[in-house]
Amino acid sequence: MRSLQLLVLSLFALPPVAGLLLLILPKVLGRIVTILSVVALSAISVYLFASFDKPFQILIPEYSDKVVMIADVLLLVYFAFIAIKRKSVLVGLLTIGQAIALGYLIKLLGHHEGGIHAQFYIDRLSLFMFLLINIVSGIIATYSLQYIDEEDCSPYRKKFFMFTMLWFIGVMNLVVSADNLEYFFLFFELTTLASYIFISFRKDNESVNNALRALWMNQIGGIAILGAMIYSLSTIGYGTLSFQTLVKAAPTVGLLFPLALLAVAALIKGAQMPFSSWLLGAMVAPTPVSALLHSSTMVKIAPFIILRLAPAIKGTSLSLVIIALTGFVFLAAAISALAQDNFKRILAFSTVSLLGLMILMAAIGTDTAIVTCLILILFHGISKCMLFLNAGVLEKKFHLKSALDMDRLAESGPFTAFVVCIGFISLMLPPFGAFVGKWFSIEILGSTLRQTRGLTAIVMLAIACGGAVLSLLYFKVMGLLISRSGEKDKVTFETTHPLYNVNLILLLALILAGVVSLPFLLTGYFGPVASDVLGSAVAVDVQSNYSISIGTMNLPVIPMILAFLILPVSLFISLFIRFRKVDRVKEYTCGEKIDYKFNSFYFDTEFLLPYFKAVGLVFFALIIILTVI
Amino acid sequence: MFELKKFRKKSPWILHFNAGGCNGCDIEILACLAPKYDIERFGMINTGNPKQSDILLITGPVTKRTRERLVEVYNQMPEPKVVVCCGSCASTGGIFRGMYNIEGGVDQFIPVDVYVAGCACRPEQIIDGVVVALGILEEKTKEIEKTIKLANKPVVEEDGQVNRRNMPAELTYETTV
Amino acid sequence: MQSIIILSVLALLAPLVGGLVYGIERKVKARMQNRIGPNILQPFYDFFKLADKRLVMVHSTHAFLGVMHFISIWVAVAVLIFGGDLILVIFLHLLSTALLIMGGFSTRSIFSHLGANRTAISILAYEPVLIIMAVSIYAVNGSFQISSIINSDPLLYKMPLTFIALLLILPIKLKKSPFDVAEAHQEIAGGAEIEYSGIFFEAIYTAKWLDYIFVYALVFLFGGSNYLLGAGLVVGTFIYINALDNSTARVDYRQMLKFSYFVALPVAFINLLITLFN
Repeated sequence: MRSLQLLVLSLFALPPVAGLLLLILPKVLGRIVTILSVVALSAISVYLFASFDKPFQILIPEYSDKVVMIADVLLLVYFAFIAIKRKSVLVGLLTIGQAIALGYLIKLLGHHEGGIHAQFYIDRLSLFMFLLINIVSGIIATYSLQYIDEEDCSPYRKKFFMFTMLWFIGVMNLVVSADNLEYFFLFFELTTLASYIFISFRKDNESVNNALRALWMNQIGGIAILGAMIYSLSTIGYGTLSFQTLVKAAPTVGLLFPLALLAVAALIKGAQMPFSSWLLGAMVAPTPVSALLHSSTMVKIAPFIILRLAPAIKGTSLSLVIIALTGFVFLAAAISALAQDNFKRILAFSTVSLLGLMILMAAIGTDTAIVTCLILILFHGISKCMLFLNAGVLEKKFHLKSALDMDRLAESGPFTAFVVCIGFISLMLPPFGAFVGKWFSIEILGSTLRQTRGLTAIVMLAIACGGAVLSLLYFKVMGLLISRSGEKDKVTFETTHPLYNVNLILLLALILAGVVSLPFLLTGYFGPVASDVLGSAVAVDVQSNYSISIGTMNLPVIPMILAFLILPVSLFISLFIRFRKVDRVKEYTCGEKIDYKFNSFYFDTEFLLPYFKAVGLVFFALIIILTVI
Repeated sequence: MFELKKFRKKSPWILHFNAGGCNGCDIEILACLAPKYDIERFGMINTGNPKQSDILLITGPVTKRTRERLVEVYNQMPEPKVVVCCGSCASTGGIFRGMYNIEGGVDQFIPVDVYVAGCACRPEQIIDGVVVALGILEEKTKEIEKTIKLANKPVVEEDGQVNRRNMPAELTYETTV
Repeated sequence: MQSIIILSVLALLAPLVGGLVYGIERKVKARMQNRIGPNILQPFYDFFKLADKRLVMVHSTHAFLGVMHFISIWVAVAVLIFGGDLILVIFLHLLSTALLIMGGFSTRSIFSHLGANRTAISILAYEPVLIIMAVSIYAVNGSFQISSIINSDPLLYKMPLTFIALLLILPIKLKKSPFDVAEAHQEIAGGAEIEYSGIFFEAIYTAKWLDYIFVYALVFLFGGSNYLLGAGLVVGTFIYINALDNSTARVDYRQMLKFSYFVALPVAFINLLITLFN
């Protein structure tokens, strides 16, 4: 148990230390250090998951509370400094609000002696997040070593970028293991700070504006957490800052207000409408940042918090509103994405949309829903990471940013086109993990219809339509980049930097391995994690008729194997296959011999975005109002 | 013995190509498809797509602008295939023969199997011509037919794949006026 | 064990039955137009003829995706016949359509691209209704498994509106007039299937037969354990689709989407609500 604690502490400490080393070491040594530390982090998180038997707490000395307090204050001072430097009124006002709340909290804490000992709580959910964070972010970090090297900025800033990335990974590890809300608040705000630094990295006007937007939106989340702390401390029955105690006490106390505030913080971090614009604005940053924010780290805090809250809010009006909001966001973000041409913006909207689905599943909170949420978190993380890293390759090697310019990519970069296709397909079609998530969520919503009557029926409708819209969106992009003329039948692969290639192939292998090992993952991985989340055992069994039952759901294995043989395997074969005995003729264009420029269809849905945001705001207000009443 | 060859006769899919005619013959071809003559009872479908058809029905004389297209469409049809010229213009150039914009009959550019006379040819005649063509179709082999008057031959690439993409319709001799 | 053999034989014979359905359809359609029409075995003649053609393609990737489209739709139909999960079956069918769309996009042919685009849009039109249908069946029946749906009471009496919604979107799925924008022979010459020829087109052609089986099997489900009712529904749907195909003109894809979202989807949804509040 002691060694496990030390390992967890090393997860916290290793990334910042490696980052500091990176700052002082020369380039090649820095690369080696980064890769080594990333490998070590992944190995530690895998080992932790393998050797874990029951949840444990990490006890740290008393004075660290004071350190956290001071860090909080320093952070606020820095925010105030940003507000003055950038002349941003919103950030300033929110910082003042945070300062007042923090002051009040410190005063409350002064009266409130004892009872705050559990600072870090490690259960399987934390370990699950460790795995995702460390492995996927590790891949991103290795990738960005090369990417940031091709960036046009000073060597010091390059090192600083890598440093920020590494300490951010450390902070993410802290976020998912913090039990004390005060600590959680600090780490939450640190991720906000990281997003500010990342987004403003390119220093132009647009970057700074978007970074400020990200800052103030996430500061609202910070205020919500502070509010939750103050409320919980001053309410009889709660009187605690511990996440676990709070969640356990909630059903008996019956006051959901602090939980609602935490949920609001989560939803803002998860870029649910109307707060989606901070994540969309993050597109101006270098691509590894988008990959980091979208796939495994920043936004995944949202489903993580809701998963933590799930046992307490299951079946309450709060969860109903969250379900309604996220179901709506799933559809709305998918529709808004149709109007986009920029590749990264398309990916961003689809992230917002799928995050909605994840939070929805977490909010439903039945055993199968939790498993589905976990499946979505993991596989969405990997797929999105691969897509974003590919967007970086497209930008640096092919100089492509708009999806419309990607016509004929399969001729100049068949491997890149193939990986993008697999990335998109893995989000919507069988047999991939994200598809299993979508499929299960429809069935789960279908099976909860009886209890909630009409409400989830509408959400189900939104999911059904949103899923179709998302497939259309992916086809829109894929359609352009997979087209190639028959002038040459043999596919010749492009050469990209090995650091790019290795990471992409690694992610591809992870996705395919995820498909193949899904039955084993369900029994040995998702099942136990979900049991820890719910606090009660989730039955994941292998049935006699080659299927796996998760609660009431059934995952038949044979159709999935067939789908695996058809889809990823056949796409892969289609790259290499050549029919030698077959003649090649021109495409039929009524006998014309002109070369055409292709374009995809365009949907004018941009004007709907303000309305969507307004509806989202109504839902946010509902969350607060319903829980106050 | 089960022979795939005999099924060619049972499902001839046609492609209708107007090389520059006055639309008289085209109307007659469409009349064949309509309920009165109903050539679908023989399994014929007007596919509108060279890649899936067996019979190329051509109407009208070849003009300077349709020449390339005609050869390209002919090229895209997979063998075995037959070409039927409907009407006198397609067969010889007809009343347009010798005009400044007319290249002449279809047989100057692609091998023709059946000529159907008439201006415009009657539906009965077209059906008759197609039936004759079906007889020829059944005899044909799958070898690439010689596109006799094309300057460029199909390219055989180093691994044995035949590339039929670039076969421009250039004349090997002057048209006789 | 015996049932597995029967089901396997059914799944293996599915293309044959589909070909017969297509043959009958061509005959029925011709009779409706006062024509004599082709032989009922005509699709099989076409099949053998296509097998004998010289092989021609645009490029290998494209040809291969066409073949995979056929195989994947066969898998979807087989899972349906073996009584798998209804939602999974719908998505497996989506997978096969996705392969067709990707095949269509993989060439640089305008008609092929237009057809693939429109096929993608028709997915948008019919998929939500199918999913709502599956969920309504669950609400009535308590299971997504086709094997248990087929042994339950007839669904038609409990969810007539869903059946009507299914009838409304079937022309989109089968690419029949008035919603045949994806194929539109007179306009884009067959859409995504245009660049296939010879044995590769045969795969697409046979996949179309399997599509019939898929759709009519979905209709058959509404009969539940009353197989006679199911067969009656299938025959009725068959005649309805052909009559509709012969009597209507093509609408454009916007009208198709609007129709699907403002007529078919609400109809299916109302039925879902009615079953819930009963």
